[in-house]
Amino acid sequence: MKKYIVKTSLGLLLFTTLFVACTDSFVDREPVYSIDSENYFNSEDDYYKALIAAYDMLQSSYVNVLLGEIASDNTLSGGESANDVIGFQQIDDMTHTSVNSNLKDIWNWMFAGVNRANYILEFKDKTDFEGKEQIIAEARFLRAYYHFELVKWFGPIPMKGDARFKLGDEKIIPRSSVEDVYASIEADLIYAIANLNEVAPETGRATKGAAQALLGKAYLYQDKFVDASNVLEDLITDANYSLVTNYNSIFENSGENGSESVFEVQYTDTEGAGFGCLQCSEGNVAVGFNGIRNYSGPLFDSGYSFNVPTQDAYDAFEVGDNRRDVAILNIVTWASSTGASYGTGYKHTGFFNRKYLPRQGDANIGDQNLTNPNNYRAIRYADVLLMAAEAYNRGGIDDVKARTYLNQVRRRAFGDTNHDISASGAALTDFILAERRLELVGEGHRFFDLVRTNRAATTITGFTPNKNEIFPIPIEEIQFSNGNWQQNPNY
Amino acid sequence: MRSKFLLFAFLLFTSIGLSQTVDVTGTVLDSSTGEVLVGTNIFIKNSQTGISTDIDGNFKITGVPVGSTIVFTYLGYKDFEYKVSKSESITVKLVETAQALNEIVVLGYSSQKKRDVTGAVTVITGKTIDDLKPIKVEQALQGTVSGVVVTQQSGAPGAGLDIKIRGVATNGSTGPYVIIDGYQGDLSILNPDDIESITVLKDAQAAIYGTLGANGVVVVTTKSGKRNTKTKVSYSGYTGFQETSKKLNLLNATEYALLLNESYANGGQSLPYPNVSGLGTGTDWQNQIFNKAPMISNEFSFSGGSDKMAYSFSASDLYQQGIIGKGKSDFKRNTARLSLNADLSEKIKFQTNLIYTYLDRDSFNDSGLGSVLFNAINTPSTLSVYDTNGNYTLVPSTPGYGIEIINPLAQLDNTFNDYKLKKLNGSVRFDYDLINHLKLTGRMGFNTSNSDGKSFAKEVSYGGKVFDVTRSSVSQNKINDNSYTFDFFAEYNNTFGENHKIKATVGTTVYKEYGSGLFGTGYDVPNNSWEYADLSLATGTGGDGVRDTYSYAYDERRLSFFGFFEYAFNGKYLLTGALRRDLSTKFGPENRVAIFPSFTAGWVVSDENFFKQTKALNFLKLRASYGVLGNDQIRNNGYVGSLSGEATYVINGSVVNGTAVGVLPNPKLQWEEAKKFDIGVDLKMFDEKVSITSDYFSETRDNLLIGNIPVSGITGVYAPGSGSPTINAGAVRNRGLEFAINYEDKISESMKFKVGYNVTTIDNEVLEVNNSTGYLEGGSFGVGQLYPVRMEAGQPMGYFYGYQTDGIFQNQAEIDAHPSQAALGAATSPGDIRYKDLNNDGVINQNDRTNIGDPIANVTMGFNFTFNYKNLDLTSYSYASLGNDMIRNYERTLSDVNRLNYVLDRWTGEGTSNSVPRVTTAATNNNVLSDYFVEDASFLRIQNIQLGYSFSDNLINKVGLTKLRLYTSVNNVYTFTKYRGFDPAATNGSPIGGGIDYGFYPTPRTFILGINANF
Repeated sequence: MKKYIVKTSLGLLLFTTLFVACTDSFVDREPVYSIDSENYFNSEDDYYKALIAAYDMLQSSYVNVLLGEIASDNTLSGGESANDVIGFQQIDDMTHTSVNSNLKDIWNWMFAGVNRANYILEFKDKTDFEGKEQIIAEARFLRAYYHFELVKWFGPIPMKGDARFKLGDEKIIPRSSVEDVYASIEADLIYAIANLNEVAPETGRATKGAAQALLGKAYLYQDKFVDASNVLEDLITDANYSLVTNYNSIFENSGENGSESVFEVQYTDTEGAGFGCLQCSEGNVAVGFNGIRNYSGPLFDSGYSFNVPTQDAYDAFEVGDNRRDVAILNIVTWASSTGASYGTGYKHTGFFNRKYLPRQGDANIGDQNLTNPNNYRAIRYADVLLMAAEAYNRGGIDDVKARTYLNQVRRRAFGDTNHDISASGAALTDFILAERRLELVGEGHRFFDLVRTNRAATTITGFTPNKNEIFPIPIEEIQFSNGNWQQNPNY
Repeated sequence: MRSKFLLFAFLLFTSIGLSQTVDVTGTVLDSSTGEVLVGTNIFIKNSQTGISTDIDGNFKITGVPVGSTIVFTYLGYKDFEYKVSKSESITVKLVETAQALNEIVVLGYSSQKKRDVTGAVTVITGKTIDDLKPIKVEQALQGTVSGVVVTQQSGAPGAGLDIKIRGVATNGSTGPYVIIDGYQGDLSILNPDDIESITVLKDAQAAIYGTLGANGVVVVTTKSGKRNTKTKVSYSGYTGFQETSKKLNLLNATEYALLLNESYANGGQSLPYPNVSGLGTGTDWQNQIFNKAPMISNEFSFSGGSDKMAYSFSASDLYQQGIIGKGKSDFKRNTARLSLNADLSEKIKFQTNLIYTYLDRDSFNDSGLGSVLFNAINTPSTLSVYDTNGNYTLVPSTPGYGIEIINPLAQLDNTFNDYKLKKLNGSVRFDYDLINHLKLTGRMGFNTSNSDGKSFAKEVSYGGKVFDVTRSSVSQNKINDNSYTFDFFAEYNNTFGENHKIKATVGTTVYKEYGSGLFGTGYDVPNNSWEYADLSLATGTGGDGVRDTYSYAYDERRLSFFGFFEYAFNGKYLLTGALRRDLSTKFGPENRVAIFPSFTAGWVVSDENFFKQTKALNFLKLRASYGVLGNDQIRNNGYVGSLSGEATYVINGSVVNGTAVGVLPNPKLQWEEAKKFDIGVDLKMFDEKVSITSDYFSETRDNLLIGNIPVSGITGVYAPGSGSPTINAGAVRNRGLEFAINYEDKISESMKFKVGYNVTTIDNEVLEVNNSTGYLEGGSFGVGQLYPVRMEAGQPMGYFYGYQTDGIFQNQAEIDAHPSQAALGAATSPGDIRYKDLNNDGVINQNDRTNIGDPIANVTMGFNFTFNYKNLDLTSYSYASLGNDMIRNYERTLSDVNRLNYVLDRWTGEGTSNSVPRVTTAATNNNVLSDYFVEDASFLRIQNIQLGYSFSDNLINKVGLTKLRLYTSVNNVYTFTKYRGFDPAATNGSPIGGGIDYGFYPTPRTFILGINANF
């Protein structure tokens, strides 16, 4: 009996020991090799890395550029067939509705950019180091960039200041008015101008000039011509940028980040992605989409034949304008002179957006069509000059200056002074706006230029005034907001 | 604990009586195999006298009163009674009964007699597995267990299967928790022949597994040796071939050309084939890719045991090639298993099982857009396989063919990959009889595996298609996964008074899984060749700053305490209760602890005095159970925000990697809660020849874990590497009935049969989706279309959401009279599909979409029979699924691709068709998701027919064999279905998005010839 007691005690002891050994602390473990997002920003490097993330979303703005053209009179949707990327097709036809996965992409990706910038700004006071203002200024520049895209596309948008949106905010935070959004953009850019260097610390990062140009643009979109002319004049006076003599070289690989480039979205051919995550590509997805369908021949690679320029856009160039054949590839002429062959896709016009066509010799690692290295020249000095010209002219400030800047652009285009414009007033306005189209065709600005100058209804087929100036909020977002956000008028 | 039952000691007795006594000697055999049954319990009815058979199956029982009855009992066999009249020597053949009530059901931590089981439990024996000859274990559950649906993701060798128990209750991981010999394991790589039994726990009984039990639990017991048996050596092997079970009816070259001409003409374009004569039938691409593929399996085993220990060993080799791609999609599996159990002392028992598995699988893109099968379906029959130079013909690079369709044979030729897995898993167990009635058990189970993967992207040009590779590369990975399950529990087992039987168990389980993966890519493979495809030779790197390497690691843990209690009064009233407390790293600190209670009750009505046992009704038990179970199968660390996003930009011309927020966290994350209710009845009738089990069940799954739940884009979740959080945001209910009947009888001594049928009905309804929209979307249909599948309150899980059609517009007048369909994107012409204006707002747009079908079967059935006549045996298994729909999504909507021949019945003019729309190259609305693309995928499949012949003992004994059986078997014999696609039973298994046919690799039909021999 005693033996039993001893054994039982021993057994129970063992049992209890093991039982107790398994305390709840067993499951207290940190995730393996993981950094907690709420316990970050402890060094300059942390801020820098988060800034890279904020820049990263710029690459997804390729779709803004594509659709900025397709929506306008510059290009047609194209593609393989009437059902190929229906979102593009509907925007081309101005029949788009709130059900449009491409508009949804713009919304989602630009807000992702806003959030990544705000992640830095949310923790801007956590750790101090020398040169922090530069990083904060870049973050604010980027937030302004994304906000500007969002307000252009969707009008009023929700804003939350220096904080990331969190789940549920869509049901609480209202859409700020367009004025408020622009006020935020202006504040961010004014801060950025004050704190950014004229020369970027590294190629690809924002400069003071970039912030000035974007601010000028934001003013122009609000018809604040005096403000616009002032800030753009500062930029021009600083003289950090100049027109590249040879227009042809701007859009080639060698022309990237050149003297004319005020702000440029950087792409590479070394790391791609698949259709499942287009925003993940480090390449310029738009370029493959612009590519000539089933192309076989010199210089270019083939692509999906979207965003095809119209005859009207091609014909808009005067004789002698060197820009036409740089901007628009006439495939018939090209094929007959080089022996190239090509396919005809949907809405084939015979023209392709040559500025952003895939070039041969690129590595295109990942996916041939989704990993093109062509940087997007987001703000060119020529654009700055034309914006300044427009501000001086439309603001009734100084037509002489306006003509000077306009003619700088034209002299480069024609290589002479014979094509200088001498008009004034409203006639000059027409010339400046026409020049914007020619200079910037294929670069994604046309639709918004037409809208902000009230010329969209008369220029774009199918455009419905008081509706199509902005695009519908994605249906999903309206549903998520649970009544907090109303759809844009007439959608 | 089988051995326990075999260890009945001799009980000495003295019998003082006046009656005459005699001695009976003899041998006890298995009636079907003729093998001796060692340890059969033999006792004289109504006395204390009992003995058991020796190692040769012999017995001698002395002093038996004349006129008394000797009872022979052996686990898993029917009791046999023999009336003694004289001294004699007899041979007793015991009949095996799968339904035997004394059968021990392994429930994981404990086991119970079948008779006492109060939960909804089904057991699959090794015999069933033997009949079905499955390559993977999961297949043995297909059609054999009511309430269980097994679907195959692909017919490719080694492809995965999904098990769903009692419906789809979650939008997340639906697979059951698998326990192998007590530890958490993986069913998919086990050799089916190593399995002794599989127990499927379908109801609240699984609650003892806490956060793991919600999807049901599958308890696998591997084979082990039997005590007191001579060494038994067996060999079994088979060889055979496989062929495709289905080919689609595609257009031949002439039909295709004519159709294309019509389509181009309707689109206002010139005819692509002005002259169709001489095109003939062209290339049958399916014939080109499908081939007969061999398979072979060999297995060797031996087992035996003394009175203190038993052993079992087996080794197997399986090799199977694919019906597409032959060696490019093959599967090799080698396994070795060792099982030992021994009594270390009177009190301490030891048991170990070890399994080593080696897998080698090569595969190719076998489903969906860009797969070999997809290319074979869509490549026109007008193209030849090879061009005049003997090279693979390129699919022309013209818009009508798109840029994804390539020559499927070239694709196969240029596919190179390899996957190898080495895994060791097993367990060690000690049982210690501390004092009478109290036993301690310590058990450690483990899995450790290493895998190597390699794929080679050959530099190749298909002439401007997306599959062109400009720079060769090789990607390799090494993955190491480990886990252990440590159990420690005490079991108290006693009977108080006469009738109060109590069993109580308390214990703890510690589980940890950890591992890591390492990935690397090298560029510029020497000679652009698979032979040189290795990181050691591919020295090229990606661009500046591009990461060519990647790794991950994980460490997940769970700590559980549990207790359960069984009480039986008089063997009639059965009660159990269980409680489990789980802590899991899957959940946030706020919600780490979960407690899961469950109760079951049973009433053996047939043991009541008022119940008169008749020949017609031998046994009746009523059961009920209720319990709360959990599910934690979600991504790791979902409660904490990590910087795992992608932040890559180009700075100074090089790729620079930063840090970005990854998937959004949900600190409130907690387990899914399943409330399971079940009532059931077990019946045995007509001398136990007929047994019936029927259950009604209802499960409500609350706090559904919805991963990557769509949320507003303003939160930044669409950034690269980010994603939506996992949220507890839904509820689903599954209700249904299960009914299973087995009938076993013999027509004569030499003619016996066994018939089984089971049927399950499922009523699935989503009760709640608690995100802002009230529904979740998923799946994909066509290119760039809206999500086709939804999970929404009031609807079945994963139902198809699209337009209802109302025939075909026959003329312009009909179009004019109908609400405008322009909002769908294109103009409408006669011959186009008419959609219903469901909300009657005078326009057809996305608001007119509705439920147009769902992939969940309303009824599933299984049917099997075995027929024995003398030395012949014939077995067949079938199963059926009714009411499940499938979306046809393997057709690419391009102008020049090949089509299924149903388009021959298209609309070509007024009155020609009211179901198949016109063909045209112009834009139409006919390709939006509508019920036109939804097909009834109900089916009846004859899964297996096997015919065997066993040679007579006297013939084979001379050559030293105890058993020799030859058989031939056909698997996946035939499928009766109206479904047009390859396989109505295939699905990717996803709760939201399953049921879309992206072009599934069909399950092959297999013909095999095999042998079983015992020495």
